[in-house]
Amino acid sequence: MSDVSLRGVRKSYGALEVVHGVDLDIRSGEFVVFVGPSGCGKSTLLRMIAGLEPISGGEVSIGGRVVNDVPSPQRGIAMVFQSYALYPHMSVYENMAFGLKLAKTPKAEVDQRVREAARILQIEPYLDRMPKALSGGQRQRVAIGRAIVRDPKVFLFDEPLSNLDAALRAQTRVEIAKLHDTLDATMIYVTHDQVEAMTLADRIVVLNSGRIEQVGTPLELYREPVNTFVAGFIASQRMNFIDVTPTPDGVMLPGKILLPIQHAGLASARTLGVRPEHLELASDGAADLSGTLAVIEQFGEYALAYVEMPSGETITLKLDGAPELHLHETIHIKVPPEAIHLFDEAGRALR
Amino acid sequence: MKNQANPWLTSNLWVLGLGMLPAILLIGLLLYFTAWAFAFSFTDLALVGRKSVEWSWVGLENFERLFTRRGFLESLWTTVIFVFFSAIVGQSVLGFLLAAALRGSRSTLRSVVEVCIMLGWLLPDIVAAFLWSATTAQTGLINQLIITPLGLPPVNFINDYALPVVTIANIWKGTAWSYLLFTAALDSVSREVVEAAKVDGATPLQRIWLVQLPIIRPHIATNMLFITIWTFTYFPLIFAMTGGGPGRQTETLAVFLYNQSFSRGNLGFGSAISVAMLLIVGVLSLFYLRLLREPK
Ligand SMILES: Nc1ncnc2c1ncn2[C@@H]1O[C@H](COP(=O)(O)OP(=O)(O)OP(=O)(O)O)[C@@H](O)[C@H]1O
Ligand SMILES: [Mg+2]
Repeated sequence: MSDVSLRGVRKSYGALEVVHGVDLDIRSGEFVVFVGPSGCGKSTLLRMIAGLEPISGGEVSIGGRVVNDVPSPQRGIAMVFQSYALYPHMSVYENMAFGLKLAKTPKAEVDQRVREAARILQIEPYLDRMPKALSGGQRQRVAIGRAIVRDPKVFLFDEPLSNLDAALRAQTRVEIAKLHDTLDATMIYVTHDQVEAMTLADRIVVLNSGRIEQVGTPLELYREPVNTFVAGFIASQRMNFIDVTPTPDGVMLPGKILLPIQHAGLASARTLGVRPEHLELASDGAADLSGTLAVIEQFGEYALAYVEMPSGETITLKLDGAPELHLHETIHIKVPPEAIHLFDEAGRALR
Repeated sequence: MKNQANPWLTSNLWVLGLGMLPAILLIGLLLYFTAWAFAFSFTDLALVGRKSVEWSWVGLENFERLFTRRGFLESLWTTVIFVFFSAIVGQSVLGFLLAAALRGSRSTLRSVVEVCIMLGWLLPDIVAAFLWSATTAQTGLINQLIITPLGLPPVNFINDYALPVVTIANIWKGTAWSYLLFTAALDSVSREVVEAAKVDGATPLQRIWLVQLPIIRPHIATNMLFITIWTFTYFPLIFAMTGGGPGRQTETLAVFLYNQSFSRGNLGFGSAISVAMLLIVGVLSLFYLRLLREPK
């Protein structure tokens, strides 16, 4: 049993409260990702689970045991830091063996566990090197290896890939996913990166200013964000938000075009959200929105078109392939009614 | 093509020479004095009297006297004890412990301790010496505040325990340097590395001993190098407090050198002492510089 649960967890620095009562249940073996804007309290939350930061209020339990007053080493966790935090004066082998040696593990077992971890991470050739003589990616593996040898119930990662270049990040991401599959341990992972969150997580926890906005599987968050914050935060291209006026038959778009929608809570709709990949090009007559093309970014497999509305808003479209569009040309857009999200005045999604 | 890397400088060799003049003078002067001491260590030059003019070469006689006469070896031993206890054990260890203990605390205690040790450092040697002699004398503050109220007979510390008293005075005087250096060194150890050790199960003592200390090893070696050399040749505090006495109890090499050269007037013998001190400090420096090097 290695589930982690947080009950009304709070953190304050003096009079300043930065985490305001977080409730969360993480099941044994689950991969949970914390995302949120910078300064929202992701690291603080993780460090409270790790035992590196005193808990100001509430309860943290790991494997059914309240650990508020249990020191880090006895919590059955291992942590991988953003800066890798390798001991610079120890070889790779010693770095990985340090925790076991402190715990007075028999030498043969230390050796066997270090070599096993090194094999999994393919760092056997570097075991005798000093951390200084390793590349960033290799150091990150050693840091993960140091976590593995402790055979923890819960792995904690604080932005472990943010110091790597894009290619290495993608590769290491896949390896962490594999690792989770092999080790069958609970993993809690903090990141800024949408792609890491979407691809790695069993469930994503979206945090904002010290509160949980939504918890759900990546697809739940993508399909049914509970508010404009989550809708705008999840997915690599930000959702378009358009101010609308509700009418009995649907919502009125800025160009005085009625988008017919059947919805129980229609009357309180103020904002319409639609993802760039769900918008389509249309002919003049069938258009729901029209504007001029301000910028087009061609990625080959798809293109992003930024269309400026007469009302001043910019709408992003994600179009397949390499569409032949010209700058300043008028673009007509169709909004598929089944793909839209409606939000009320407070930004809450209408269900 | 002609080499025109720096046309202004190459065309103004005189300016270049003029700019370097102070440096050349300084180096020349240093070499001159060193050579002077070295040369006169082979003579019987005296400060006053006939031998201050009609000195003669005496070969290695002065150096033989270092080992055959009383004085030099005793002073060397006193110096070793003084350096070991006041600089290495006292200033360095105390400075490190203070830096480690006060690290991260923003309390008033820290400010108070910092002000105290900085005061010791900033106070002129002679003033400090006066304060220490006055405090530890038979009628001094320690006797009046502690010993006499306890009903014990007053103790003349500066006389009966001269070497321990100057050693403690020098610890008080010099700890600030080590404290500052180690505070900066500990700040350079990444916080996440220390936290990683914490997660790995290291106790606070193990974190210091197995993680922080090895990481700041080069700083420790640098510090040892500096304070050993400084303390080895340190003169004003001891001289002002005891003048080397009582007897020869606190006559370190620097005081011995002064007494021989200027009280007794044996400039030739004094030069030999200074050459010997230079050699000892040089050997010590080599040892520390080896410590500075990376392992393996
Ligand atoms: N020692 C401290 N004293 C006061 N406030 C702090 C302290 N440490 C963190 N904070 C505040 O707590 C909040 C949460 O910090 P935290 O490091 O958890 O953010 P984060 O979500 O990890 O951000 P990032 O994505 O930039 O790493 C921030 O607003 C920060 O300013
Ligand atoms: Mg953070």
